[in-house]
Parts: sequence; C-alpha cells; structure tokens
Amino acid sequence: MAGLELRQLRKSYGKVEVIKGVDLTIEHGEFVVFVGPSGCGKSTLLRMIAGLEDITGGELVIGDKVVNAVEPRDRGIAMVFQSYALYPHMTVYDNVGFGLKLARTPKEVRDQKIREAARILQMEHLLDRKPSQLSGGQRQRVAIGRAIVRQPEVFLFDEPLSNLDAALRVDMRMEISKLHSELDATMIYVTHDQVEAMTLADKIVVLDGGVVQQVGSPIELYKHPANLFVAGFIGSPKMNFVEVNADKIVGETVHVSGPDVVGVPVALPAGKVHPGDKLTLGVRPHDLVVAPSGAIVGRVGLVERLGNETIVNLELPSGASWLAVLDGDQALKRGESLALDVDPAKALLFDANGLAVAAG
Amino acid sequence: MKKRTSILGGAAAIAATFVVFVIPFIFIILMAFKDRQQSALRDFSLPTGFHFWENVVEVVKTRNWMMITAFINSSIITVVSVTLLVIFAAMVGYVLARRKTRWNGLIEFLVLAGLMVPPAVVPTIWLLQGLQLFGTLHGMILIEVAYNLPFSIILYRAFVATIPRDLDEAAIIDGARPLDVFFRIVLPLLWPVTVTNIVVQSVGIFNDFTNPLYYLPGNANATVQLTLYNFQSQFSTAYNLLFTNILLITIPPLLVFMFFNRQIVAGMTAGAVKG
Amino acid sequence: MSASTMAGSPNRAETRAIKRSPYPGWFFTPAAIIYSVLFLVPTFASLYFSLTRWTLFDSEFIGLENFAQFLREPFLIKGLINTVIYAAVTSGLKVVVGLLLAVMLTSQIVGRGYLRSVIFFPVLVSTVGVGITFTVLMHPTQGMINETLALFGIAGPGWLTDPNLALYSVALVDVWKGVGLATVIYIAGLVAIPQDYYEAARIDGATPWQNFWYVTLPLCRPATSTVITLSFIGGLRTFDLIWAMTKGGPGFASDTIASVIYKQYQAGFYGLSTAGNVVLFILIALLVVPLTMFLNRKQGHE
Ligand SMILES: Nc1ncnc2c1ncn2[C@@H]1O[C@H](COP(=O)(O)OP(=O)(O)O)[C@@H](O)[C@H]1O
Ligand SMILES: [Mg+2]
Repeated sequence: MAGLELRQLRKSYGKVEVIKGVDLTIEHGEFVVFVGPSGCGKSTLLRMIAGLEDITGGELVIGDKVVNAVEPRDRGIAMVFQSYALYPHMTVYDNVGFGLKLARTPKEVRDQKIREAARILQMEHLLDRKPSQLSGGQRQRVAIGRAIVRQPEVFLFDEPLSNLDAALRVDMRMEISKLHSELDATMIYVTHDQVEAMTLADKIVVLDGGVVQQVGSPIELYKHPANLFVAGFIGSPKMNFVEVNADKIVGETVHVSGPDVVGVPVALPAGKVHPGDKLTLGVRPHDLVVAPSGAIVGRVGLVERLGNETIVNLELPSGASWLAVLDGDQALKRGESLALDVDPAKALLFDANGLAVAAG
Repeated sequence: MKKRTSILGGAAAIAATFVVFVIPFIFIILMAFKDRQQSALRDFSLPTGFHFWENVVEVVKTRNWMMITAFINSSIITVVSVTLLVIFAAMVGYVLARRKTRWNGLIEFLVLAGLMVPPAVVPTIWLLQGLQLFGTLHGMILIEVAYNLPFSIILYRAFVATIPRDLDEAAIIDGARPLDVFFRIVLPLLWPVTVTNIVVQSVGIFNDFTNPLYYLPGNANATVQLTLYNFQSQFSTAYNLLFTNILLITIPPLLVFMFFNRQIVAGMTAGAVKG
Repeated sequence: MSASTMAGSPNRAETRAIKRSPYPGWFFTPAAIIYSVLFLVPTFASLYFSLTRWTLFDSEFIGLENFAQFLREPFLIKGLINTVIYAAVTSGLKVVVGLLLAVMLTSQIVGRGYLRSVIFFPVLVSTVGVGITFTVLMHPTQGMINETLALFGIAGPGWLTDPNLALYSVALVDVWKGVGLATVIYIAGLVAIPQDYYEAARIDGATPWQNFWYVTLPLCRPATSTVITLSFIGGLRTFDLIWAMTKGGPGFASDTIASVIYKQYQAGFYGLSTAGNVVLFILIALLVVPLTMFLNRKQGHE
C-alpha cells in the first residue's frame, strides 16, 4: 500500500530556493490537492514526487521506501500533464500502451489492459486515432488512460483541466472523482483553482512561496483558516479584512473596533487576546446580513442583483471596499448607507503576524 | 490595371531569367547531344545528329569505367556520411537543447567556429596519414561528417526546442530510458528536419569537389566531381563528352530538387537564419 | 521503530546517489570525437606547422618566416587582396540582387513558381560543372556570350583572360550560382514581415518606393545580415569555382588564399600552405566577427 511521506523536502534552482522544507503525510487512497497561486511551487513539488526534478534536500518516501534516487519508472507513479503530452506520432492505442511496451508486457496482456482502460474511460472508438484528431476532452481522457494502464499506486495530476472549457471542466472533474473511488489509488492533484480543490479533495495542501500554509479538509480550511493567506485564498468571493483593535472582552466574546467598524462582537475563548491588541478582522461575504443596528456601516457601491442573492460592494469610511453576498433580492441603491452584521461565531480574528487567533 | 502590370512584369521576368538561368542549362544539354566536331564550335546550334547515347556510353567507359567507380564512391560517401551526420547531430542537438550545463556555451562556440573556420588542409592530411585513413573512403566519410556536423547540429537544436519537453517527461514516467526517449519519441518527431538534413547534406556532399581533391587522391577513389577533369586537356577538350559528363552528374541533384524542393529551401533558410 | 530505522539506513545511502539525467552527456561523444580529431586537432596543429618548414615527415621551426613570405611575395599579397575583393563583391551583389528578386517573387507577379525554381536550381548544381560551363561560355572569341554581344556590334571583353577582369568574372558566376539561396533567405524574411506595417504605411500615403525604403528594408535586416555573413564567409573560403574557371590565372590575377593554399600544397611547401590556412583563418576572424557584431548591434537598435 502506498502512502507518501515528505520530510523537509527542499528544492533550489541555483541559489533560489523554491521549495522551502515541506513536511507532509499522505495516506494510501487519499485524494490530496496542492493549491496555491501561480508560481508558488506546486508543480515543482509534484515533479519532485514524480522524479522529474532532483530533490535538493530532505527525504521523499513512497510506500516504505526512500525514493530520492529512484528513477521515475520505479516509483509506482503515473502522471497526467497539463498539456496532456500525448505522443503525436502514435495512435491512441499506442499512446496508452507505450509504457506497457517498454515494460515488455506480453502482447495479449497489453491489448487487454489497453482495452480495459479504454472501456473505463469510454474511448474505445478512439483507439485508432492520432492525438491530432481528438478534441481537448478526448485528449484528456487518453492522457488519463495512459496513466491508468500502468496501475500505479499514486496518480499525479498537474492542472489537468486548465486547458478545457468551463462546461467540460466540470464533467471531467466529476469523472476524475469517480475514477478515484473506483481505482483505490492515491491521487495528488495540483491546481490553482480553489473551487477545484474544494470539490475534489479529501485533503487540501495550501502552498505559498514554497511553504505549506495549511493542511486540512476543505471545510476545515474554509471554517478555520490558519492564517490570513489561507483565509484569503480559500473561499469565493474572497474574505473581507479590516484592521481593528480589541476593545473589551466579555466572557467568551471579544468586541473589536477600528476606523471602519465599531464594536463588532467575535466569539473567542477567554485569554486569547487582550484589550488593545492589534488584530485583523476577517468576515466572509456570505456571512454578512442586513441589520439596521449592525456594527459594520458603509456606503453602497456596485450592486449585482442575481435574484436568489445580491452581491453588494460596500465602501467603508476609510475607503476600504468590502463585498457582501446577501440572501434573496435586495433593492439597494447606489450611494445609500447600509448597516450589516455578522454572527460572532463566524467572524475571524488574526494577530499581528497574520496567524489565526484560534476559536477552538 | 494592376493585373496587367503584374502580367507584363511577369513576362519580362520570365524572359530575363530564361536568358540568364535557363539558357546555360539548355547549352549543356545541346552540347551533350552533339558529336565531337560540332561541339568543338561551342555555339548554341541544334545538334546535327542524335549522339547523346554514344556520348553517354563513351563517358561511362572512359578510363576503365571510372564514371561507374566514381558514382559508386560518391554514393557510398554520401549515404554513409549523411547517415552518421543525422544520428550524431540529432543526438548533440537534442541534449544541447534539453540540458543546460556550463558546457553549452563552449559547445555552441565550437559549432559556430566549425561553420566559420576553414579546415587546415595539410595538417589534416598529415593526421589522416597517421591514422591510416588518408586516401580511403573511410577517411573521406569521417571528414565529411566532421565538416558538416555544425550545420546539422544547428538545424536539429533549433527543431528540438520546438518539441515540448512534456513529451520526454511523459515517456520517462512511462518507463522510457534515455535511449528509448531519444529513439522512440524524439527522433521520430524530428522527421521533418531529418528529411531536410538528408536532402541538404547529400546535395552538398555529392557536389563536394575540394575535400576529395585533397583527401582522396587517386583514380581508384575518384568521386563524380573529379571525373569532370577526364575530358579536359590543354589542347583538345572533348566538349561533347565533357558536357555529357556535367549533365550526368547533375541528374541526382535534379531529382532531389524535383522531389524535395520545399525541404531544401526550408532547411537552407532555417540553417542560415540561425547560423 | 528500530526496525524501520534499520530498513531506512541503506536507503539513506541511496539518497546520496545522483539520479542520472535523462539527457545523457555521452550523446555528445561520437560527434565530439569525430569533430575534435578531424577538425580541432588539425586546426590547432596548423598553428604550429605554419611556423615550420615542413615535409610531412619532419618539420623545422622557422618562426614567422612563412608569414613574412606571405607579406613579401607580391603574388601572395595579391591573393590576399583578391580574397577580400571577391568576398565583398559576391556578398554585395547577392544582397542587392537577392533582395530585388525576393521582392519580385513575393509580389503578385505571374509565374512565381517557375521563377523561384529557375533561380534556385543552380544552388544545387555542381560548382565545378557550373565553372566549366561558364568557362566555355566566357571564352573571348568562341564563347557564346561574346558571340551574342558581337551580334549587337559589341566587342566583348576577355572575361577570363583579361587579368583585370578575371576575378570579377568568376565572382559574377558565383553570384549566378548562389543568388538563389540569398533569394530564398530574403523571401523567408519578407513573408515574416507583418502585413500591418504596409497597411499602416498605406494609410500614411506611402509610395511603393517609400514602402520599400522605410518598411521592407529595415524589417528584413535579419535576412540581410544572414545573407551577408553567409556569403562573405563563403566568399573568403571559395576554392572550387576559382579552380574550375581560372586556376588563379591569368598569372596570379585571380588567385585567392584558398587557391594559394592548394598551389603551395601541390608544390610541396607544406609549411607555407599551412601558413596560408592560418592567414585565411585570421582574415575571417578579423573581418567576420566585427561584421556580425556590427550587423547584430544595428538590429538591436531597431
Ligand atoms: N527550471 C527552473 N529554473 C529556475 N526556476 C524555476 C524552474 N522551474 C520553476 N522555477 C521557479 O520555481 C517557482 C515555482 O514554479 P512552479 O512549481 O512551476 O509553480 P506553480 O505553482 O505555478 O506550478 C517559480 O517561481 C518558478 O519561476
Ligand atoms: Mg504549475
């Protein structure tokens, strides 16, 4: 059974360190998504696992073996590339069977495996075509088929859906998810799209600047982001932030105020913050509700009325702009004043270092 | 209006290029059809009889069938050296394009130097003699490979850069070893530039005069370009035979031109633009 | 716990092992051996042997005597000057004629396919064959060229027999044979110029001549620098055409360094011949390196 363990994994290109000591444990059968902004090192980390990049420091364990110096073909992995990387001069059949051929698999076994993979992916009718005769979605299937026939312990995906149009992307997302439950393999999936991460993952790894920011299930990350970066990255639309100071502490509630808000209550165990502490208040747009006596008051800017919900741009006194997603249709006018409130249990606080002041 | 000028201009251009570029070839053909007496006049007259076939036979038989030997020699040199060139240059161009090391600068410098620096003739002869390769087909083949490698490497390197690296990596993940990646994935995809290389280099090597002159002396080793000196002497040149000979050795490039015109042009311009 | 660390320790050693690159360095080896042995070694050897009196079996070191001789003997100096003239004339003409032909061939002219083939074909024909053919055509009294000129009452010159003309006649044939390559390089350069520039120029009311001067010429500079560099180096190294047409004659009138190298080799002056090689090498370095730098720097300013 192949879980993975990354121990202080590092990668430098010359003097530039792009992966700065990543520790991570992946259980067998997990669907893990690496997510983060472009350039944060997701692909590099994935390629280190694949064996396409040398590891500068630390240890990589697949199954129960340190594989730092093991060739990619012996790591029990398969990879699906963003560009699909289908061999243009081979038919789909040969593309899928190339790895088996290299492994000198007998012809009949090979044929059977190729057809089995084609059946799973419903592409039996494509086997005789060349990649240039396929649509984007079909190429994607072939690329996945090529991974499946190798029966790897670990599947690696590098932004596999980013070259597809939106509708197809949703279909393929479900397909990959289905594949995961059928194949009983570990999958590591790289994306910069946090929606993809939220929908696919058992476990999300948020990366920024070559450092793991947080590891957890999608809902954990959504509800309890470890720091400002994760809070801002996970969830759409983005979380609203504002600078505040702790005012007074009443039992398990902290009241915070700042140039833009006055006396917003936040639920927090006693002793975590002290009056006068500099903090950042974070509130998700969906957690804001209209309340005439609300603590957050601003001027209405752009209003998007979608029927089932209303997206409001709120300009706070200091000029900062917040977004609120309000339930139902709200007939708001540009320029009018609007007061909002937030459930104290859903408001988040971050300390001066950007770390979450944990509610748990 | 515009159309008429383009037709008039076209007609003028066709006439001018006909005189400048086509007439010399017609002259060659006419001469090859004449008998010795008429050809001695060296004018643009029509042949008085059909002597082409007897000219061909005589050219071929001259000097103990030297023409046949020469065609065989030239073919061997061309085929073998182009084969080696293609494989070795593709290997260099591939690794050069894919792998960035501190040697790349030096290698690229040597490649460019090879395009510019004239070979040092006598030291090469001295060296070939030392290696027992002077005056042998083997030696000649290796010389052609050495002298033409830089151009082929440049062609290949530029083309390898257009093949996505993802393909190599997909193959590596699929279990391909370095030789598998090169021979099963990259080399097949280099086919267009390989055709270009084959065509351009075979024409060049087949037409090479200078290097066989220096490195492959002796009638037994004659190459086709050297056969041209069979019918020239200071006093009585057999012009009909001379031009028949020219015509015969022009046939291979002509065939190549008819079948591979586009690849030649592409290759020569690509190589030139990079060089 | 301890079992796992025990199992881990051999693996730890494995970590140190460097994974092999998928792009093995030994791919360079066959090419490197052939190129080094047959090209680099003789090139470096020539630096030594050019300083010797040499019979191939033994050599006597004579310092710069061979080079001194090169600068002393009028016929050797003549060869040096001829080489530069030849390279300059052929590359200059190839640029001008090649560009004009390319402009013509990229316009809407009729018969483009025919014209392109006809102009390009000589590039593929044996140089010696071309040389011999033109030697016959350029014969002063019985050559077709002068016979044709005579029909118009013009007394043609002794193309290859007049010492002042021979080199230029050969250069002309070189252009005839090589201009096709210059043309296709220019065609590749011209078709790469975005049509927008011409449209913008047309909106500005440019005449065809202004179009050529202010759009075409500057934008096909990369092609120009390629043609110049290529034909200049080729010109400096030319041997086969000169040998086929004049053998450097009449006298030494059309000798170039390359033909001098051959003549000295034939005469058994191996040291002097090798010195000729070094001179040619230095000449190429001195002329071509600044030339390419100049052409490329100008390009950077565009
Ligand atoms: N071969 C390389 N040489 C130098 N820097 C590189 C190389 N490959 C990637 N990088 C750098 O490493 C960082 C991470 O890249 P990557 O892993 O591709 O990011 P992403 O998260 O978008 O997939 C980037 O800043 C990139 O510029
Ligand atoms: Mg990436």
